[in-house]
Amino acid sequence: MPSLSYLLARLLQIIPTFLLVMIFIFLLVRLLPGDPAIAMAEAKATDAQLEQIRHNLGLDQPLPIQFLVFVKNTLTGDLGRSIMLKAPVTEIILARLPTTIFLALYSVLLAICLAGPLAFLAASRVNSPVDVAIRSVFQVGLSMPVFYIGLVLLTVLGAQLRWFPVGGYGTGFLDNLHHLILPALSVALYTSAIILRNLRASLIEVLDADYVQFARAKGLSRRIVMTRHVLRNALVSTVTLLGLSIGNLMSGTLVTETVFAVPGVGRLMLEAIFARDYPLIQGLTLTFAVLVSVVFLLTDIVQSWLDPRLRQS
Amino acid sequence: MKRLLPILLGAALGLAAATSALAIERGGAMTFARYDDSTVIDPVYADRNPDLWMVTGLYETLLRNGPDGSIVPGLAEGYDVAADGLSIKLKLRDGLKFSDGSALTGADVVFSLDRARNPELGPWAGLLGAVDKVSAEGNQVTLTLKNPDPTIVSILATFNTGIMPQAAFEKAAGANDQEKARAFFEAGPVTSGPFTMKSRVQGSSMTFARNPNYWRPGTDGQPLPYLDQVDFVIIPDDATRILKLQAGEVDAAEFIPFARVGELGADPALKMELFPSTRIVYAPINTRETRKDGSKNPLADVKVRQALNYATDKNVLIKLVTFDTGKPMTSLMSAATQLHYGPEPLYPYNSEKAKQLLDEAGLGGGFEVTFTTLAGSADDATLFTALQQMWSPLGVNLKVEQVDNPTRGEKNRSGDFDIHTYGWANDVNDPAQVTGWLGYYKQRQAVGTGWNNAEFNTLFEASNVQVDPAKRKDEYKQMQEIYAEGAPLLFLFETPFAVAVSKSIEGYVQTPLGANDFSEAWRAK
Repeated sequence: MPSLSYLLARLLQIIPTFLLVMIFIFLLVRLLPGDPAIAMAEAKATDAQLEQIRHNLGLDQPLPIQFLVFVKNTLTGDLGRSIMLKAPVTEIILARLPTTIFLALYSVLLAICLAGPLAFLAASRVNSPVDVAIRSVFQVGLSMPVFYIGLVLLTVLGAQLRWFPVGGYGTGFLDNLHHLILPALSVALYTSAIILRNLRASLIEVLDADYVQFARAKGLSRRIVMTRHVLRNALVSTVTLLGLSIGNLMSGTLVTETVFAVPGVGRLMLEAIFARDYPLIQGLTLTFAVLVSVVFLLTDIVQSWLDPRLRQS
Repeated sequence: MKRLLPILLGAALGLAAATSALAIERGGAMTFARYDDSTVIDPVYADRNPDLWMVTGLYETLLRNGPDGSIVPGLAEGYDVAADGLSIKLKLRDGLKFSDGSALTGADVVFSLDRARNPELGPWAGLLGAVDKVSAEGNQVTLTLKNPDPTIVSILATFNTGIMPQAAFEKAAGANDQEKARAFFEAGPVTSGPFTMKSRVQGSSMTFARNPNYWRPGTDGQPLPYLDQVDFVIIPDDATRILKLQAGEVDAAEFIPFARVGELGADPALKMELFPSTRIVYAPINTRETRKDGSKNPLADVKVRQALNYATDKNVLIKLVTFDTGKPMTSLMSAATQLHYGPEPLYPYNSEKAKQLLDEAGLGGGFEVTFTTLAGSADDATLFTALQQMWSPLGVNLKVEQVDNPTRGEKNRSGDFDIHTYGWANDVNDPAQVTGWLGYYKQRQAVGTGWNNAEFNTLFEASNVQVDPAKRKDEYKQMQEIYAEGAPLLFLFETPFAVAVSKSIEGYVQTPLGANDFSEAWRAK
């Protein structure tokens, strides 16, 4: 396992990342054309009412003052009040975040379950009809946008065959598994295609390596060869790719959650951007930054466990 | 037999009517798919359509809008406006109760109306700007006005004057009115309307349950509503909302894209409802002498604006964008608005006339105009492409600029545009709101166009204190004629509210103002 000093070093690296994210997101949302007061008042308000709204939101303060207030509040755990939803940002995000995390984990698990066994099958029968068929099918998953896969799944499995609910979110763990199967599957089809290609290539390379041949020659059982020598080495690059995929998946939730009517933070981000809800956009971006940083940290930990050389470097 | 036929026909009709009334069934639930969630359903703080279109489901007003647009009694049995227009008296019905069983009294009305007219609270206080004092004595409520206000009767039928329970509201947690409003709403408020709020998951779902103490009787003589509950699910994506309806998971879906109206209308399990609305789609034209960048603005000339209106074939646009569900504008306001005057569509397509007007304006050689559209809007893209083709024979080089909604709003306010798309639906059952918005310079520079017509402005100011209905009607007729002549807009079309409903559901209505009315909805078992 990685040492404590390694973990501390990785955690310290996250701090400047957050600071940069805070500065960038604060400036970027304010560089966007469009006034939150106008977006909030749906254009019907008078100029005097808009001034009042801007004053109430603190948007009439100079930018440096607004930034200092933002940093101070963030450090004390106060992300401000949402302009659009008129409620504390922290409260809103905490209510929606579990849904997104549930969907993300569900799709990753589905992707691993789909890609893992099939990659083994394809790698063990290189260029056979089975290998070609697996690669071809997953190539389709890679070529189609997630929202299109989603709509096809909704139409066929949801509306026509009525096997699964058409979008929405359930109540309770099992009901959520049932409700989120189609969005999770549409994301998993895309992610698994990437994992499958990478894992298959790594497996083929490792299966041909001298140390694997030697292990076999020593008379080790097939199971030990596969788990101790093949899988551990083949997984290094796949874990990196999986980590990156989860990072991408966070931004992908903007589309998936909208198409499937899943009330998570992805859909919320889209609504916040259209409403120029500065506090909510800032809060959500920080949340995404935390989530991605945690995923990358976990990726690094798993990688350093798989390949001890990484700890030394 | 000839004598017997009318009797038999009459008897048959009477039987059919009686059967229809008897056929109403009570109980059950319906599920309604919405495009967006409500934030705070509070008469004072509702500021987005998903909020304000739900308010009257929870809070009843003193007066109500009748199905034909007339004002009918609500919590008040009737009203009496003084001859000088400086006060209005209303008598509350006997035995009114809130959903928790507590009595609805004159004090609750005073509390609700004082809250509604407090300019430090929500955005709608200006609608009650003429009110000087609200008082109650027993069941008698009196509004004293600073000046006559012909809109006051309509405002008392508008969502922002919904009656709330003073005691329950004041008990809610919070340091100020806004915090109390949120806490009161989140806790499942005590209501005066046909429903109470049973549960809510923000961004996902909401359930309204029947208010057992609602006052209004149904056709069977028992109190409304017929349904035990209405479940709302939030499905922002149009395609998914429709799929959910087709899969039978919901009973109705709102905001059906017009491109799908024909397909859903042909579905034997569904009714495609096109509710008459006050919604108009139009394009404000910048009428200022110079553009924001200082260049000369060709659209400042009224002849050019009229020419562009004549060069626009509205019937083609209606076919392309609304799939023949819309109709051309005949006035600045929709035909469903009170005091509408417009005997025929404005600026029927006439390319010869358009060319002649441009020649008279000295722009026969052509000019360049930028059309600002909403990025990602298929309707706007279609409008731009069609207008580009319609106007190019006149030498008008139409360029496109795509922006998002907040940017479009900011451009409109700062006058940084040539022409852009916009939509409107009335919030009040009175023409003053839309007329002030589109034409009165002092309010918002005539929807940002900069059109400043002294005669129009004077008429608008006079109509706002006009207590003689006939004179007010004439003032509105004149304003609509002046506006049509001045053409500060590209007059496009009116559209209905498209809602697809399962055939097992009857009685759901979306009013011309957009409000979702489930009070008389029922499910056939």
